[in-house]
Amino acid sequence: MTRIELIGLFEKTATEIAERDIKGLSELTEISTLGIDSLGILELVGEMEKQLGIQLPDDQLVGLTKIGDLLDLVEKRRQLAS
Amino acid sequence: MADVRRTSAGWPDRTARLVAPTLAAAVEALADTRERGFTFVDTQGKERFYSFHELHKEALKRSYGLRRLGLAKGDRISLIVAESDDFVLTLLGAVLAGVVPVPIYPRLGFKASDGYVDTVAHITRAAGSSAIVTTQQQEPHVRDAMPRCPTVTQLIDMEKLASAAEGEPLAPVQITPDDIAFLQFTSGSTNLPKGVVVKHGNLAANCRAFMYEGLQADPAAGDKGVSWLPLFHDMGLIGFVMGPLFTDIPVVFLPTSSFARSPRVWLEAAHRHRATLTYAPNFGYALAAKRLKERDLQGLDLSCLRVAGCGAEPIQIGTLRAFADKLAPTGFKPEYLLPCYGMAEGTLAITFTKLTDVARADHVSAEALQAGKASPAAEGVAANDIVCCGTPFENHEVRIVDDAGNPLGERQVGQIITRGPSVCGSYYENPEASAESFKSGGWLYTGDLGYLADGELYICGRLKDVIIVRGRNFYPQDIEWCVAQIEGARRDNVVAFGVTEDGEEKLVVIAETSRVQAKALREEIPKRVLDEIGLQPFKVELVALGTLPKTSSGKPQRRKTKALWSSGQFVASTHADSAETANVQERSE
Repeated sequence: MTRIELIGLFEKTATEIAERDIKGLSELTEISTLGIDSLGILELVGEMEKQLGIQLPDDQLVGLTKIGDLLDLVEKRRQLAS
Repeated sequence: MADVRRTSAGWPDRTARLVAPTLAAAVEALADTRERGFTFVDTQGKERFYSFHELHKEALKRSYGLRRLGLAKGDRISLIVAESDDFVLTLLGAVLAGVVPVPIYPRLGFKASDGYVDTVAHITRAAGSSAIVTTQQQEPHVRDAMPRCPTVTQLIDMEKLASAAEGEPLAPVQITPDDIAFLQFTSGSTNLPKGVVVKHGNLAANCRAFMYEGLQADPAAGDKGVSWLPLFHDMGLIGFVMGPLFTDIPVVFLPTSSFARSPRVWLEAAHRHRATLTYAPNFGYALAAKRLKERDLQGLDLSCLRVAGCGAEPIQIGTLRAFADKLAPTGFKPEYLLPCYGMAEGTLAITFTKLTDVARADHVSAEALQAGKASPAAEGVAANDIVCCGTPFENHEVRIVDDAGNPLGERQVGQIITRGPSVCGSYYENPEASAESFKSGGWLYTGDLGYLADGELYICGRLKDVIIVRGRNFYPQDIEWCVAQIEGARRDNVVAFGVTEDGEEKLVVIAETSRVQAKALREEIPKRVLDEIGLQPFKVELVALGTLPKTSSGKPQRRKTKALWSSGQFVASTHADSAETANVQERSE
């Protein structure tokens, strides 16, 4: 899955959780600007984990601010898993 | 059936409804219990079982560690630990040493750190903690708060505590029911936090009441709890750590984040451990009902449960019914759901519904309710469904009073007050706030509105302006202050309040501003509030200067503003649909 496809998956999942359209995101979008609270973000992370078959540990989520940061972690974990 | 004998101390004794007089004595009484204990599940799903025997032994070691590091009876420690096993063991170590733990939530997730450091600093200062006890993982976030906490002389991580814990046993510390067990900082605004003083006597009284009277908990019958509730919150900490310790009930603890990622984790653990008792706030049931698919329920047998309690925030009957319907294929029955009412100032639980009752709501006329009377609604008129929260415990009373404190009659809406041995006496070193809530005769003024019908309590709302979202309390003044810091907004020109939408409480922010700044504020306010307060506004309205109703001293009037907003009065004066208007204006200038 390419980075662009991952952003697409992120948008689709965020839209489901926020129950409103979320699109036009980029690597540089700050996660805090999505209008999803911390619990919703965890829901989102959980859904991404399920879709991608990986785990994103809590302690590695601390300090991530941009969508690109999260995708870096996703790619790292996917390599570990494969 | 498990062989469960009384300890040599004589407690816990389910038949006589007798518990230890202090949490310390309760933990000591379990020192020889090897067959039951706490199971801690980590975020990877790995389980670690501590029998009560091991739990006591390890807590005792940590109590020596804290004492060797110079902490003495009555000293406060800020406890910031994300891992549930280390959190519980260290908290109990402090309790056995007579040291007063002050649980503070750990920093998790993507949040900006500024707001977090403020929280740690404010609570630590209010508690006058002499140490912050934390983990290496949390330390970088905590360290920034240190310069703002003059009473703190040391930062203790788990390694430092472990090495101090080694060595010869120390003489036991005498703990009495009148000693402080811990400080519960859940109420009060961020800037002026209030720590409820929970004494051992309060804990013993409340744990006895909700575990024995409310839940009829019985280790011999195989009772077992499962909880994903955060341990820095009263429902998780008192409900699932302390109550079970007083009554010898095993519990499985799941990380809150695991539940948020996948609610199935909760039900799967209940199934696998054959749990009988669990709890969640309303939002937990809503989230599970929304996210669980039919295939998630395959293979789950939840007929083992007998109580799925609900509390900590306003309860919606529709949410409970949707959850019960969704889970019906697993053998889950609607009568497992148990609505309760409580608050940290009453230690935890205040009223419980009966175990045999199906959760039910009173269908009352909306118009009568606004006039302060809960009259059953006739067919076809606008009505509210208000969930029954049951009756108070033995030796505890609940009354409804008017503004002057006079008792009100059946089905009349007023402030809920309560008294009894579970009611705490004060906020820590805060006589002003204490005087507002804890009044003469031992009555706790809850600030909640409700009524009694046939001796049962129904909760209608709140006197205070606090906004409760997903079990967390938010104070309008904090949100208003946060918004007022943004360029273009000003103090006393911002009002924040909660409204109920789709059964959930949501935040509305109204700010007065000039037309030119409206567009920037419309974008900035939600971002800033989410960043600093952790709450996403449902609506942000920008209105012309001079629109908000004010008091004679120029302070905005929240209730009046809310009433005006609810009746649609601000629409005309709103800086209108406003991004466009603001744009036009900018271009023309």
